[in-house]
Amino acid sequence: MPDPNQKPRPAIPNPGGGGGGSEPHEPQVERPNTDDLLKRMKKVDPDQAKRYRQRTGE
Amino acid sequence: MNIQFGLETEAGITRENPENIDVVAESINLVRSAITPGVRMCWDYSLEDPHVDARGFRAKELLQDSDEANYFAQDAQRTLSFTEIKSDLVLKNGARFYNDHAHPEYCTPECSTLLELLQQDWAGDSILMACVKAVNELNPKNPVRLYKNNTDFQGHSYGCHENYLISRGIPWEYLNEAMQAFLVTRQIFTGAGKYAWEEEDRYLGAGFQISQRSDFFSELQSIDTMQRRPIINTRDEPHANPKKYRRFHVIVGDSNLAPYANYLKVGTTALVLDLLTRGLSLDLFPKLADPLKAMKDISRDPKWKWECDLKSGASTAVAVQREYLKLVRAHGDVWLPQWKPVLDVWEKTLNDLERDPLSTSDRLDWSAKYKLIEQFRTSEKVATDDPHLMSLDLAYHELDKERGLFYGLLDGGAMTSPFPMERIKSTGINAPLTTRAAVRGLCIEKFGPLVESAQWDYILIRGEKRRIKLSLLDLFSSDAVAQTVAFIQGVETVDQLSKLPFAKSLS
Repeated sequence: MPDPNQKPRPAIPNPGGGGGGSEPHEPQVERPNTDDLLKRMKKVDPDQAKRYRQRTGE
Repeated sequence: MNIQFGLETEAGITRENPENIDVVAESINLVRSAITPGVRMCWDYSLEDPHVDARGFRAKELLQDSDEANYFAQDAQRTLSFTEIKSDLVLKNGARFYNDHAHPEYCTPECSTLLELLQQDWAGDSILMACVKAVNELNPKNPVRLYKNNTDFQGHSYGCHENYLISRGIPWEYLNEAMQAFLVTRQIFTGAGKYAWEEEDRYLGAGFQISQRSDFFSELQSIDTMQRRPIINTRDEPHANPKKYRRFHVIVGDSNLAPYANYLKVGTTALVLDLLTRGLSLDLFPKLADPLKAMKDISRDPKWKWECDLKSGASTAVAVQREYLKLVRAHGDVWLPQWKPVLDVWEKTLNDLERDPLSTSDRLDWSAKYKLIEQFRTSEKVATDDPHLMSLDLAYHELDKERGLFYGLLDGGAMTSPFPMERIKSTGINAPLTTRAAVRGLCIEKFGPLVESAQWDYILIRGEKRRIKLSLLDLFSSDAVAQTVAFIQGVETVDQLSKLPFAKSLS
């Protein structure tokens, strides 16, 4: 059950406050961790997509 | 500006070794593994009618009806009932989670801010990932893999639909004409990227394009959603007071993982829809000479110039989007705190796409995916037509924080977000407090075992003396929602809900 003391938020919160809703900024770190990503990519089975079959959805 | 919106996302499902798997059974099993608080199998299907057409008639049949009948016949061989196959779960955040034929589908609750939308979408992804974990603990040797994408590369697409609650007063043909060029050209920032060209039920060949879904649209407008899909879907199920509201059902979009792509997709579409309430002349809106051709041409353009023909002459997708942006700046509620940042991001992204498309790889799915996979392809000397690229494409979308390539980019700091990620993650499985989802979610949480049935626009709860039906058909004022939530928090019994102005007591 929600905290009964918690007041509903205003109808249109301001995303501009607290660093939200701003223009795209530089990534949070100067150099993304490419080593970890490379490891992930090397683990991908090259034939995975060939075996991937789905039913048409909406 | 008063508009509410939500997303319904179908996920792709398989196992690491998919030989002989039954994707329907996998989807049912996954949905039934959810332990998120909610009420199971209370969804009321009797009120759903996808044949009602916004153009003012009821379609005799949908193109998918024969497929649906075949699926129904196949499903009848299962030991589960129709309700068990669907395994609908109404969650305490007001969302719906169920098996839609062969895909786990998560529908966000109704949202009125873009922060709420990103929070609820993140919550859905987290629920799906928790289900994967639960299922895989039982069968670690052949784990389930789940993908937030839109294709199997063999011509079988599944959707991420957007819903926008708008005024019934907007004439349908006006909406249809005004929105076509917008929906066709917005893929330059909403596209999730794809290493294949397809058409319905067929792989056409290797090649990168910016959208997952654009291969699958062959009609300008129609009621269908599974075959010969239209740019403008005419399904008329408002899930609200039909005299006042429409639910504009957008089916052209890709599933987005990048927070900015989701923010731009829903934010810009909401802003343009709001423009339609201003009575502007239809002549002010761009009109494509051949929208269906433009849809594919833009997605598949290898030069990323995205040229297209307007009825008035040659143009580009960026220029068309700038026309819409200009209209919104001139006539929209651009001073409202929620919406001004959307305009700024929209403009900056269009500028960046024109100047250097890959400079958007910190915020858009298609450019992030392309940049990442191309770096790998070059360094590993993978040929441009190697199916390995489709496997890497698939891996971008995997809903697994340890394996999914998108999550690798996010965790590595390569993706930006319109809101701090901690704020997006912080809401957990809790309803937005500004929409009727808060009422639905609170009823689920407080009276769960007593809930007899639910739909987007009502909830029926069993009390000691009577059953109480709460109609949510007109509950769209945030003040009314707040008052209702406060009232429900204060009651001790279901019977006391009868005092609500939109409650009806049933025997």
